[in-house]
Amino acid sequence: MARVEHYAAPRGLKEAARRAAERPATVLAGGTDLMPQIRSGKRALAPSLVNLRRIAVLRGIRRDGDGVRLGALTTVTEILGHPLLRQRAAVLVEAADHFASVQLRNMATVGGNLCNASPAGDLIIPLLVLGARLELVSWTGTELATRELPLEDFFVGPGTTRLGPGEILAAIRFPLPPPDFVARFRKFGTRPALDISVVSVGIGGRRRNGTLEQVRVAFGAVAPVPLCGRRTAAAIDGHPLGPDTTAAAVSAAAAEIRPISDVRASAWYRTELIQILTARLLRDVHHEGH
Amino acid sequence: MTVIPKETLIGRRIPKLDAPAKTTGETRYINDLALPGMLHGKILRTDRVHARIVRIDTSAARALPGVHAVITAADTPGVPLGHGRDNPPLKGDRVRTIRDEIAAVAADTEAIAAEALRLIRVEYEDLPAVFSVHEALRPGAPVLHDRHPDNIPFTFDYSHGDLAAGEQASDVVIEDTFKLHYVTHCCMGVSGVIATFDTTGQLTIYSQTQIPFLYKRDIAPVIGVPPDRIRVIQPPLGGGFGSKLDIYPFEPICVFLARVTQRPVRILFTREEEFIASPTRQPVEFTLRSGVKKDGTLMFRDARTLHDNGGYTSWGATTPFVMMQTISSLYRVPHCRYHTTVVYTNNPYAGSFRGYGNLQATFAVESHMDRLAEAVGMDPLALRLKNAQAPGETTPQGMHFITCGLRDCLQTAAERSDFVKKHATNRAGQTGPIRRGIGIASLVHVGGGANIYRTDGCGTILKLDDFAQATVLTGASEIGQGSETVIAQFVAEELGLPLTSIQVVNNDTEITPWDVGVHASRTTFIAGNSALRAARKARTKLLAAAGQQLGADPATLDLRGGHVVDATSGEARLEIGKLIRSLHFAGKHEVVMTTEYYEPPSVMQDREFKGNVSATYAFGTQAIELEVDTETGVVRIQKVTAAHDVGRVINRLGIEGQIEGGVVMGIGYATTEDLMVSEGRVLNPCFRDYKLVTAPEVPEIDTTFLETLDPHGPAGAKGVGEAPAIPTAVAIANALYNATGVRFRELPFTPEKVLRRLREAAEGKP
Repeated sequence: MARVEHYAAPRGLKEAARRAAERPATVLAGGTDLMPQIRSGKRALAPSLVNLRRIAVLRGIRRDGDGVRLGALTTVTEILGHPLLRQRAAVLVEAADHFASVQLRNMATVGGNLCNASPAGDLIIPLLVLGARLELVSWTGTELATRELPLEDFFVGPGTTRLGPGEILAAIRFPLPPPDFVARFRKFGTRPALDISVVSVGIGGRRRNGTLEQVRVAFGAVAPVPLCGRRTAAAIDGHPLGPDTTAAAVSAAAAEIRPISDVRASAWYRTELIQILTARLLRDVHHEGH
Repeated sequence: MTVIPKETLIGRRIPKLDAPAKTTGETRYINDLALPGMLHGKILRTDRVHARIVRIDTSAARALPGVHAVITAADTPGVPLGHGRDNPPLKGDRVRTIRDEIAAVAADTEAIAAEALRLIRVEYEDLPAVFSVHEALRPGAPVLHDRHPDNIPFTFDYSHGDLAAGEQASDVVIEDTFKLHYVTHCCMGVSGVIATFDTTGQLTIYSQTQIPFLYKRDIAPVIGVPPDRIRVIQPPLGGGFGSKLDIYPFEPICVFLARVTQRPVRILFTREEEFIASPTRQPVEFTLRSGVKKDGTLMFRDARTLHDNGGYTSWGATTPFVMMQTISSLYRVPHCRYHTTVVYTNNPYAGSFRGYGNLQATFAVESHMDRLAEAVGMDPLALRLKNAQAPGETTPQGMHFITCGLRDCLQTAAERSDFVKKHATNRAGQTGPIRRGIGIASLVHVGGGANIYRTDGCGTILKLDDFAQATVLTGASEIGQGSETVIAQFVAEELGLPLTSIQVVNNDTEITPWDVGVHASRTTFIAGNSALRAARKARTKLLAAAGQQLGADPATLDLRGGHVVDATSGEARLEIGKLIRSLHFAGKHEVVMTTEYYEPPSVMQDREFKGNVSATYAFGTQAIELEVDTETGVVRIQKVTAAHDVGRVINRLGIEGQIEGGVVMGIGYATTEDLMVSEGRVLNPCFRDYKLVTAPEVPEIDTTFLETLDPHGPAGAKGVGEAPAIPTAVAIANALYNATGVRFRELPFTPEKVLRRLREAAEGKP
């Protein structure tokens, strides 16, 4: 294990960004992915370790104009208990409810879950369905710079993102869904509890006269990155919910995923699961409308 | 006048004596032990599956500051260990599996030892490898050990009756091949050992072994220390389940490091190492042919099994010894043949694991009982009852069932689960993706030891101090099975003392008398009988002395609540402590200390594997209800109804835990656990990808204990440590058939495998 030469746990975001820019840095939030990866040798520590955990502005869930802002340090437990999210963004709470164990939920942060960039990351799928955008900050040498990026453009491959050197994810924002918005998340692990996703699916849209509109679909663990199911969404968008639309969505889903075979599942099985979960989610959405 | 009523501890719910320390974190496991000056050992394992070692360069590792010793095979006697004596602790010329030990380091810290391992350079010449029994048996296949050019270290054969006549007389004959996979013990405590020599050369090993006395004998030639110079101390164990029946290379390696450095050395596995370098359950390919008459009478059974031995031979290679008992004797079968071929491969090697082959054998037999029942139009319960053994029978293999609760177990499990009705209703046809099923399966397993050495005994020394504190020195180890508590109960019961007055000492070969070891579900039966008899001798002595002092006939006296009492009225006459003191001080010069060596009434089997190998046998039946999602392959176990012939309940709380733990282990074997081995490598050496059953998946477990009161058992008890894990997987297979009409012949029933099998069956593969 490489030794950390510089350690900082600042209270301000500016200081954190400055430290992260000074020299190659590892950024620590909840540590639930980072620490096991370092221990197992899958990831090396950079010479500098910047601990974000004392930065108050990175915490908290709040209304932000027409949207919701999640500080990057928001824990999974905080998402689970939040009244606004429970009421208006239940799909995110649903995913949090399938996230690991209570102990991990207390430590793991939404920012960490995104930056870890696992194709199986549990919170990524509902945030894609909610149309989330990211607020990324960096130190220019004289001041703090901020840029925004749609979540779906954030991921490059397993464990890699578009975060620049020294750049820090500060917050996640998404528009508050309108009252006719419905969304569902389904995670499939081979064991009911405490399991990593073999695949996951999220579907959301606005319910209008027996159809879904402005549909967003996302798939987890079936491509090198969490995948936006654009073709699947198109197969659903504006079409009457029912067996024909379901069949079209299922075949679009099977066509656009790019699953691999690994110790958790074969590509064949992942394809089977995506199809059955997509069909079941659509059926649930359809039947709730009646 | 104080009257002490007669009370019994037998059958009560007693929290295990070690539970408070374990739950509060007070227990000191081997991980917590540190001797003054102790060094940390680590082992370099190969990354090749089969290769010749050309050169090992340890110079850079030796030069690292903080490293005290680096050893290779060249620094050791090179005496192999294991049941087949084919496994040198450090491999000098050749590696045969990826776990193979090549070098070891002792250093000031674990981190330095790990760093030193990275500095060792090994040059190999790869050899062709074999990864399946079929490849290994092919003519011209690569040979693993020159002593066995056919790659077959062992075969086992058993038979009774006339197979051809049995087949002739059968109306229906079926044959199937079952494939049973790799699983591993997953002890919460990882493997570890500490070795230390004193200045006179006396060796103390802090070991997790389940067999401390045989351990001394077995390790002595490997390390070149005579057994009388070895002391084995057993710290509390974080799980055994059979895995500590063997000696593994890391133990002698630790001794070598301690000898070279003249310092105490500890080796402690990482979890990943535990998955890769600790043993597994035997993977078995099991072909079974069975025949039955139209009326459901079983006529013959012909079993052929292939065992993947891996690269070396552990005790696990002898599991056929147990497997053939289920083939020959779970149900009455007049004609029977059993053949096992144990085959070397370049896969990880298997060891001993709770049930010892019986999970695999029972899987085949009980799958066939269901298939035969269907073939002759009987329900599965009726066919089993028709062929079930009864009390008093001696099976053709020579197993004498003095007590036998099998029929009662079958009937109880069936009635309590409403098996017959549910089984028929489920079969009648279900629609929709979720199907319900119920399945049943039974077991027989040794319950009174297994006479595989020249003795199957256990020694006890019992001493009473002058305040009536009893110390029981027993050879039998506590590995979490609760034997300490049961032994204390027997002694307290005989001596009329509270449980708090009993201390059980069971972890030091310099103090405790000899015992064979913890295996074969033998401890409650053998060590219990031994302790009970030692206590009875002390009781006799106390009552005789009390009779003399009180001028009473000892037969009219009893021991209760720490007092000598009048047996009829319960009137307290004398404190036991006072009685003992009077034996010291009144010129009698006596102490109350007794010894016992209990040898069960069983025999070693003859060369044909016949003979009454155990003093008693445990039986049980489990009925399992489940739901299967036929679109995803997910199996959800809903309820387990278990009925077990346990002889007599001694500690109700303990035995409930034993049964529930076994059932959960069986559910894991069947539905979630899968040690994935590909080309000799373990693909999932972590709990993220090796899936144990977790608490939310544990179904309702309804357990009934059938008390058959075994005449040889302590207070009538039988051993049931292994029994509950045995029939679970096949009961699940039978329930899957009931739910889907598809026969599952390969474990595990993980969702993907279940879905694949359902698709295969839909495409016409039977």
